[in-house]
Formats: sequence, structure tokens, C-alpha cells
Amino acid sequence: MTGLNPQPLLQVKGLNKSFPTGKQGIFRRQMMQVLRDVELYVNHGEVLGLVGESGSGKSTIGKAVLRLLDIDSGSVTFDGHDIHTIDRETLRGLRKDMQIIFQDPYASLDPRKTIHAVLSEALDTHQLHTGNARQPRLLELMNMVGLDPSFLSRKPHEFSGGQRQRIGIARALAVEPKFIVADEAVSALDVSIQAQILNLLADLRAKTGISILFISHDLSVVRFISDRVMVLYLGRVMEVGPADEIHFAPKHPYTAALVSAEPSLGEQRERIHLTGEIASPLNPPSGCVFRTRCPFALDECAAIVPELRDMPDGRQKACIRDDIL
Amino acid sequence: MNMSLPIPKRMVFPSILLILLIVTPFAAPLITGDDPTAMAIPQRFAAPSFEHWLGQDEFGRDRLARILYGGQVSLTVAFVATTIAAVVGTLFGLIGAYFRGPFEFFTTRLADVVVCFPPILLALLVVTLFGPGAVTLIAVLSVLYFPAFARIAFAEALRVSALDFVEASRALGTPSRRIVLRTVLPNIAGPLSIQYSLTAAAAITIESGLSFLGLGVVPPAPSWGQMIRGARAFMNQEPLGILIPCIALTLTIYIINFFCDRLRDALDPKGAQGAKDAISQPVTTSQKAPDLPSDAVASVRDLRLVTGPASQSVDLIADVSLTLRANECTALVGESGSGKSLTSLALMGLLPDVIRQENGQLLLRSKSDGVVDLGKTTAQGLEKLRGNDIAMIFQEPMTSLNPVHKIGFQMVEAILAHRPMPKDQARNEAIELLELVGINEAARRFDGYPHELSGGMRQRVMIAMALSCQPKLLIADEPTTALDVTIQAEVIELLQRLQREYADGLGLLFISHNLGIVSEIADRVVVMYSGKIVEEGPTDVVLNAPKHPYTRALMGSMPAAHTDLHSSRNDRLAAISGTPPLPMARPSGCAFRDRCPMAIAACAEHIPSLDNVSDVHSVRCIRADEVVTA
Repeated sequence: MTGLNPQPLLQVKGLNKSFPTGKQGIFRRQMMQVLRDVELYVNHGEVLGLVGESGSGKSTIGKAVLRLLDIDSGSVTFDGHDIHTIDRETLRGLRKDMQIIFQDPYASLDPRKTIHAVLSEALDTHQLHTGNARQPRLLELMNMVGLDPSFLSRKPHEFSGGQRQRIGIARALAVEPKFIVADEAVSALDVSIQAQILNLLADLRAKTGISILFISHDLSVVRFISDRVMVLYLGRVMEVGPADEIHFAPKHPYTAALVSAEPSLGEQRERIHLTGEIASPLNPPSGCVFRTRCPFALDECAAIVPELRDMPDGRQKACIRDDIL
Repeated sequence: MNMSLPIPKRMVFPSILLILLIVTPFAAPLITGDDPTAMAIPQRFAAPSFEHWLGQDEFGRDRLARILYGGQVSLTVAFVATTIAAVVGTLFGLIGAYFRGPFEFFTTRLADVVVCFPPILLALLVVTLFGPGAVTLIAVLSVLYFPAFARIAFAEALRVSALDFVEASRALGTPSRRIVLRTVLPNIAGPLSIQYSLTAAAAITIESGLSFLGLGVVPPAPSWGQMIRGARAFMNQEPLGILIPCIALTLTIYIINFFCDRLRDALDPKGAQGAKDAISQPVTTSQKAPDLPSDAVASVRDLRLVTGPASQSVDLIADVSLTLRANECTALVGESGSGKSLTSLALMGLLPDVIRQENGQLLLRSKSDGVVDLGKTTAQGLEKLRGNDIAMIFQEPMTSLNPVHKIGFQMVEAILAHRPMPKDQARNEAIELLELVGINEAARRFDGYPHELSGGMRQRVMIAMALSCQPKLLIADEPTTALDVTIQAEVIELLQRLQREYADGLGLLFISHNLGIVSEIADRVVVMYSGKIVEEGPTDVVLNAPKHPYTRALMGSMPAAHTDLHSSRNDRLAAISGTPPLPMARPSGCAFRDRCPMAIAACAEHIPSLDNVSDVHSVRCIRADEVVTA
């Protein structure tokens, strides 16, 4: 965002990741590639939104940048460290700076631990705010996420979904990270609670200058919270650019289809109808992976894999056609 | 799970029994002064007397002393062996599951190898090699039982490790050892403790069996198995000798199993209640004759649903009235817990039996019988209505179709259930329906299985099945929530098209939390909050000029309704503070008042009524007239 830090906080280059599928022989495992040559960066203090349908690989990116899973090839540079090659001790130190908030507020908290224990685990691991400094820090965290400090001695089952999500955010913030992955962090919440959590994240960003990788399938939510938005389809980046521009003037046919499919309260947009079903990641189409559903596909689309090109208006897109949209 | 109570009530009695069982043998010197090995041949087979309560055995030894001291041996062997097996097995399972890779291979295969040996044979082999004795027994039993623990620990740890909170600990950089011991282990303790008690009981049996065969405890040291062995030769003359150790053995195993059962119930709240699937029968409290306006397909009048015991029942929903018309889509909107799904389940006659209908009348227009009052219909009558006159589609298309049957088979079955016809005709109708809901190559898909279809296609099949008997009313409960946006848009378009083209006039009740979808599909909107309807009217009126503060707040909190706002420009969404109240903790008066920006003192006094603000629009708010529309 600012010119003070020329290096982005997080830089991902050529990221590839595949998973073994259920079907496997004795000697050979069938692999399903979920990420292909993903490039992205997140600047200091920036929120990057990651959107895509199920199976697009957005959660895999979130876990790969935190090294919660190993990658096949590519690099993830966080604050100057390639986190997939550094040794475990350095990584453990770096974990303080990068955190994650999960989707399911019920699965993300240990049912047997009090909130005090949940938040202390984070601080104990990194030897932060030990001894007498502990209690004030916990109270500060509870205030920061808008929870009553008396809740500290309670266990997760005593809380509603929204309150649990706040606890999950407090856990992530406890170690004062520079970067948070929010993986569908508001998707499981009711509308009124979702707005509270979005406002909370926006306030935190404004106050602490934290960077966020915001993963969601809800385009309106992503547009509201993100500075830039990246659209994924079948593990490939389709389009990246400033949030409002991506949302209101999409240039990639897939983005346009996504945006037009979104139920809106205001005036209806012209729907862009996609043909067929999402292709299987086991057997992705040649050339552009989106071509089988694209209403604008040409014969060339089957031949060339479109590169993510810089466009004059500052965005990037992976589509060979500039004469549409 | 309620872990705050230290000992649940149901655990008290079995716990006392178990403690008695364990303590009694070790209190032997206090109970009897006799030496269990002291023989008194002249008094052999002496009947119970004041000095020897249970009599004397074939060598004149005191039976009570032998039972008690023998119990010491049996219990020690069983519990020590089980403890070793539990510790080793759990460690194996945890390491295998958490670290995976070669650890998983080593630990699970080792356990598998042990499981391959028949237990008694393995025990015989080891005892023959190392000679009988308590220590050998413990070693044998530990080896025998560790695979069971390893397998349970492995499976459970695998499940727990995949949960987000374990991932969160890893993301925090918590050392693996600490995650395994502090986070994973406590969460798998339930099944392991049950396995522990089961294994202890089994170990006692095996110990007695081996001692009976002369491979366990060495005589003259007492043990239950040996007592049975000794008494067996004389069981015709002196049945008491064999009965006593058998009763001790049975009682011990019974107490341990009793404890296990209760422990399982205590750890698993679902098991304790027993899975009941019963349905609560609809009632009718209206004296009015069942009649509907000519264009209505169903109506709900003054519905009130309660739960809990009669003395302190809690209203889940109250005062809900709806009229569903043909060729009209009514949307029921609200947050989780607002009562929208309960209303639809009541209309289907599918309320779970913990929920009772206290008040109200549910009417449905049936194709064959005219207007039907659900409260006056038998269970069989309701069954006939469901699927035939009223059909439902659900949120989760992945679980709504039976995975082992072909799609065509399930559809034909649905058609034949209500309309007897030749199979060929049913097949043709099914294929036509699949085409109607936009499935390409319907004839080929007819012979396919559900797993071959994507989520959106499965939802189409569900819709086709729901329509197979030409119902008057289709209830769609969050039918697109689990689908991706592009697929969601297609399903919405399909529902709109069906409603337009459906010959007999279909009434659609669309339940959703998403106001965006509702604005696209619904003709009328009914907004629910905490079990009551708070606003009702035509979609464009309610969504463009909402009169209830809750509806306004809902609209305000949706990012989709505020495309001009952006967080980086310091804009914030107009969120509603707090959370919806639980049914038992609603504020007095208006249930929304403690979250309402417009609340005044009068709001606390009484529950506002649902009043008309125009011919078609009604609102439950005493300040509805003051709400200015933006």
C-alpha cells in the first residue's frame, strides 16, 4: 500500500500442488493437481481477496503459504524467508508472524480447553507476555475482539458461533502477527453476525496495519473487505486487480460469469450463462482450463495456456481475448 | 458435551460398585484372619460356619480367604496388563496418526501382526516358553491387548488431527509433542477409557482361563481360575466350591461392563438419550371448518410450537400464520434459530417428537380430498400427503439421494409410491422430468448413480423427484446454500421457470437466509425473528421499503446491498449488535428490542402485534410508522 516497504510481505511464485486421489495402484498413485503455477503477493497492510468456486484450490493456497502442507514446486517468501526451505526452528519463530482464522467456529476450538487456555497456548509457545504480563494481555485481547473478559474461564460450548469466531480471531491476534489467512472466516455465520466480524477485521486492519489473505466464495464480502481480488478457477489464477474494478468491471469471462451469477438486491445484471459443468481436476481441459464453460471460447483457447498478462489498467488476466467485455 | 459436572448422576452407582470391587480383595486381612494357603485336611469340604463363612475347600483351606486373595491376583494382573497395553497402544496410535508416513506404517502393521494370532494360542505359546506365573501373564496380556488400543487411538487421533483446532495449534508453532499430548490425547480419551474398562474385563477372563489350564498363577498361590480347576474334580459332591469363584468372576465382569456402559453414555450425550426418530402428531385447535381461499394451496394459522416439560415449556415459535398460494413463491427469511425451518416441518407433519404443537391449524389442499386439516389426519394419511400433495427439497443434495441405488430406480420408486402405473410408463415420466429440470442426456443419467453427478445436478434430480407426483406445494429449505454461485443461479432459474410453466399451479415455500436470492425468486417475503413473524408483504415492498427495524438492519448488514461501501475507505457495515436470543432467554415485550436501535421503554411492556401498514404489508413493531424509508 505504501511506498515504505518496496518488498511485498508475502510473495508466492510458481506454486504447484497436487494430492493423491482415492484411486491408486500398488506402485503408482494417481495425482490430482489442485494448484498450477499460482503467483501472488500481499503487500504490507494489504488485504488480498481470494475467490473461486469449490475445488478451485483457494484453501490449499491458504495452507501452503503457512506451510501447513508441503508443496510440489514453487516458492513462498514471507518477510524475506522462503518458508518451504527454512529449518524447523526458524519456521517456528516465523509462525508468530503468520496466523490463520478458520471457517467452522465449532471445529476450530478445542472443546476441552477454556478460552484462557486457548489464548495462553499461543503466548506460551512463543514465550510472550509471561508471568504477570499474561492476564493484562488476555484482557486486552478479549476487549480487542469485543468479548466480555469474564468469558476467559469458560469453555467453547458456552458460546454462539459469532462469539467463537471472535475467540478464533483473538487466538490468531494473540501473538501480534503481521499476516493472517482468513479461510472462509465469515461464511458459516448469520448475516447480522457476519457484518460484525467483517467490521471487526476492518477495524483491526486500520488499527494494526495487519495484512490479510481473505479467502471466500462470497464476492460481495470479498469486495467489501479486500484491496485487491484474485479469482481462481481449477487451481489457476484467472484475474487479479483492484477490488472494485474486478467486481464492477470484470475483464475475464469467468469473473464476469461469477459476478453476474451473484444474487443482487439492486438492479439485475445481464447473466452470463456458463455451459456445462466444472471440469474434473483429474482431467483438466487443454489450453485454458475455463474454455469448456466459456461462452467466448475460440479454437485457439484449446491450444495455448493463457498467461497472466499485465493489462494497461493495472490488473492482470489470463485470457487471450481483449475484444470482449 | 457437558464436561463441567465432575461426576454425572448416572455414574455414581456404577462407580461405587467398581471401587468396592477393587478395594474389597485388598482389604482381605481386615475381613478374614485366615491364611489362604493354610491347609486343614480333616476339615475338607466343611460347610459354611461362623469361622469359615464360605466353608473350606478340598484341602480344607478357607474359601473366603482364597476368593479375596485370589481376587488380588486376578485384578492386579488384569489392571496392570491393561494399563501397559493402553499406554503402549495409545502411544503407538498417536504417533502413527499424527506423524503419518513411515510411523503410520510401522505402528499399524505391528498391531496388525499381533491381531493375526489367536489370543489363547499366543498366550499358550508364551507361557510354555517362559513358564507360568503372574509376571508372564501380565506380559502376555499386554501384548495381546495393545493392538486394540493402538487401532482406536489411531482412528480417533486421525479424526481429531484433521480438525481445525489442531491445525490452529500447528499454525501457532506449538511443538508436536505438546499438540499430541495436550490437544489430541484429551480429545480421544473418551473411547480409550471405554476400551480400557472392556479390556480389563476381558483380561480377567483370560487370566482365569489360563490359571484354570494350569498356565497362570502357580499353586498354591490362590487365583479364581485355580479355584475352579480345583473344585471341578469334586463338583458333584460339593457344587459350592465351583459356584463361589464363578460367581466372583461373573460379578466382577458384570460390574466392569456396567461401569463401561454408563461411562459410554456419559461421554456420548447422543448415546444417552437413545436415538428416537418419533414424529410429533399435528393437532388442530381451531373450531373453524377447514377451508382455504380458492387460490391457496396451504395455510398455517396461529401456529405455536413448544418444547420442554409441560410445566416449564418454552415457545419455539408462536403466532405464526401463513397463506401459501398457487403460482406464488413465498420466501421465509430469518437467521438460524428464527423458526423458519420448524414452520415448514410442521406443514410436512415432520416435527420431531420433542417439539409439541400447542396451538394452531395446518391446512393443505389435497388433489384427491379437497382441503385437509393435518391435525385431523392419521399418520398414514400424512404419509399419503407427503410426496403426493406436498414435497420438499433440502439444503444438502449430497446426502438426500441414496448412493447405492441408480437415479432412475429412485425416481421410479418415488412415482410408483403414489401413482400406480406400469413400470415403462413410470420410466418415461422420470426421463421427461429429468429433461424438464435441465439434465442433458436424461436417458443416460437415468441409469447412472448419484455419485456420478455434481452437486448442482443432484439438486436438479431432487427437484425432479419432488415434482414427480405433481404436488400442489413445494417446500425448498435453503436449496442452494451448499452450491457454488454459478450453480446456485442455475437452480434458481430452474425453480423460476418451473413455477411459470407448471400446469396445475405450484405453490413454492422458499426458505432462505439470503435476501439476495429471495429478491430474485420470491413474490412475497415473510421475515421471522426469534420464533415470530416480524414483517410480511410483497417482495419489492418489504425489501425496498422495510418497516421493521430488524428487516432494515438485515439489509444494512449485507455487503451485497452496499456496493458503494469499502472497508479501506473506513466504511463499516451497519451491523446489528449482539446475537439473537435463545427461546428461553427472550427479553420481555419485543424479542428484538435489546438489539434494536429504535427501542423505547414501551417496547419492553408487551409483545407487539402484527399490524397492517397497508393492504398487503404487515409489521410487528410499535414504531413501524416512524421508520423512514431510505
